[in-house]
Amino acid sequence: MTSIDVREADGGVVLAPSGRLTVVTAPQLRAAVAERIALGDRIIIVDLSVTDFVDSSGLGALVSCLKSARQAGGDLRIVAPTEQVSMVLRMTNLDRILQPRASVADALHG
Amino acid sequence: MSESAHRVVVVPAVLDSIDVVQAEFDAWWTELGEDSVATRFSFETAVVEIATNIVEHTHRAEGTAGREFSLELTADASDVTAVFTDNGKPSDIDLSTVTMADIDDESGRGLALAIAALDTLDYRRANGRNIWTLVCKR
Repeated sequence: MTSIDVREADGGVVLAPSGRLTVVTAPQLRAAVAERIALGDRIIIVDLSVTDFVDSSGLGALVSCLKSARQAGGDLRIVAPTEQVSMVLRMTNLDRILQPRASVADALHG
Repeated sequence: MSESAHRVVVVPAVLDSIDVVQAEFDAWWTELGEDSVATRFSFETAVVEIATNIVEHTHRAEGTAGREFSLELTADASDVTAVFTDNGKPSDIDLSTVTMADIDDESGRGLALAIAALDTLDYRRANGRNIWTLVCKR
């Protein structure tokens, strides 16, 4: 299981999925991001510093959420991925469109 | 460091079983005492992708009622090996044709990720069962 901590920040919203983001839990991230976009948030920060493991379904959810944010006129930025997550981002070339930021503050400032 | 740790788990072919597979993997890896996190992350990623592929294939082909799969994790001095066996319908996958999805695709990365993470991935059909063999060098 995962739990997604959601907190509002100055200029965006920060979602932090803890534990594993896999085929079991990726729908929770999609739903949480969709809800925040519906509420009017445009800059979506996904804090991956507490995410231990991401599989291809988790990556698919991140791509889907990025598209949703951009279609709403916003953006999705990822922060501080852990070692396994960085590995799969590299292996799939997704680090080109999901370029990790070092901190939430960096992500909020573009 | 233990050279050989051995673990077998049999689970229903449903998505919630992926969490069980990862918990077993974690316990096995701890018992193995292998220091390389790069090997761990590569191997665990591939194990999760193949487990997910088996569940999704089973679900598409025939529904999951009564279907299960087994995972055997073994190690020797040179390799770590995972063997998945399931009694579902044959897979028509040709692993030589698998390519990584484009960066804006929302799916289609699982098998390509497994292949990239492993030293060898083999699929065969024997005795009415699908057998997937995953190997990483230690």
